[in-house]
Amino acid sequence: MSNFTAEDKAAITSLWAKVNVEDAGGETLGRLLVVYPWTQRFFDSFGSLSSPSAIMGNPKVKAHGVKVLTSLGEAIKNLDDLKGTFGQLSELHCDKLHVDPENFRLLGNVLVTVLAVLHGKEFTPEVQASWQKMVAGVASALGSRYH
Amino acid sequence: MLSAQERAQIAQVWDLIAGHEAQFGAELLLRLFTVYPSTKGYFPHLSACQDAAQLLSHGQRMLAAVGAAVQHMDNLRAALSPLADLHALVLRVDPANFPLLIQCFQVVLASHLQDEYTVEMQAAWDKFLTGVAVVLTEKYR
Repeated sequence: MSNFTAEDKAAITSLWAKVNVEDAGGETLGRLLVVYPWTQRFFDSFGSLSSPSAIMGNPKVKAHGVKVLTSLGEAIKNLDDLKGTFGQLSELHCDKLHVDPENFRLLGNVLVTVLAVLHGKEFTPEVQASWQKMVAGVASALGSRYH
Repeated sequence: MLSAQERAQIAQVWDLIAGHEAQFGAELLLRLFTVYPSTKGYFPHLSACQDAAQLLSHGQRMLAAVGAAVQHMDNLRAALSPLADLHALVLRVDPANFPLLIQCFQVVLASHLQDEYTVEMQAAWDKFLTGVAVVLTEKYR
């Protein structure tokens, strides 16, 4: 679906190499849950999500965020076949987790803002464009086996 | 709709932008056109040549309007009424584009403020800008 140019791939992989998934994972999922509180509906078992600091400090949020970004990191190695990479996860999110695919778009956008926080001026419009393409591709792949 | 804390967060971030409306606005537009090329259709003269002076000028105008919204957070409808008319009658920007602009706005703030751009600020600004977009598209039909 998405065609990643050589420039896109370079922007995506070089930036990702500098990302600490341990930190960025919790930050990304935490920000999603704070900025879009309705997304908390999937995480009843995570314990306290009662305030921004509770969410950002919640170890289950951090662990799950790391899991999500680790999976994303794998996808980055295979940008030309996101649908293949995320096929099983798509089925899981549809059949077992019942996650509205809109949530994938929200998470992707939040990840982009976290990357902007981390990289500042280096996160140029062109780099942002490559990354928005990336997260849109992931969201689409994750929704591709919904039925 | 906006809590006292949210209002404080919004004002705090605005204080960092005030005085730099043109620069922030130009970058906002540049990101919008680069990331979401379909939006260029709404700015034909601006996006064709992407002349720095024109981007700064239009960016300044857009961010000045955001600044006015910040000053009137409690009564956006009244403060933005002329702009709402403009968008409904003249500009007619499809409402689906406002989230795209808001995403670019978030990235502008995040990339400039970096560690200072707390999760609370991001949440308050997303809520605020979404409210502005609602008001700007409210008179469409």
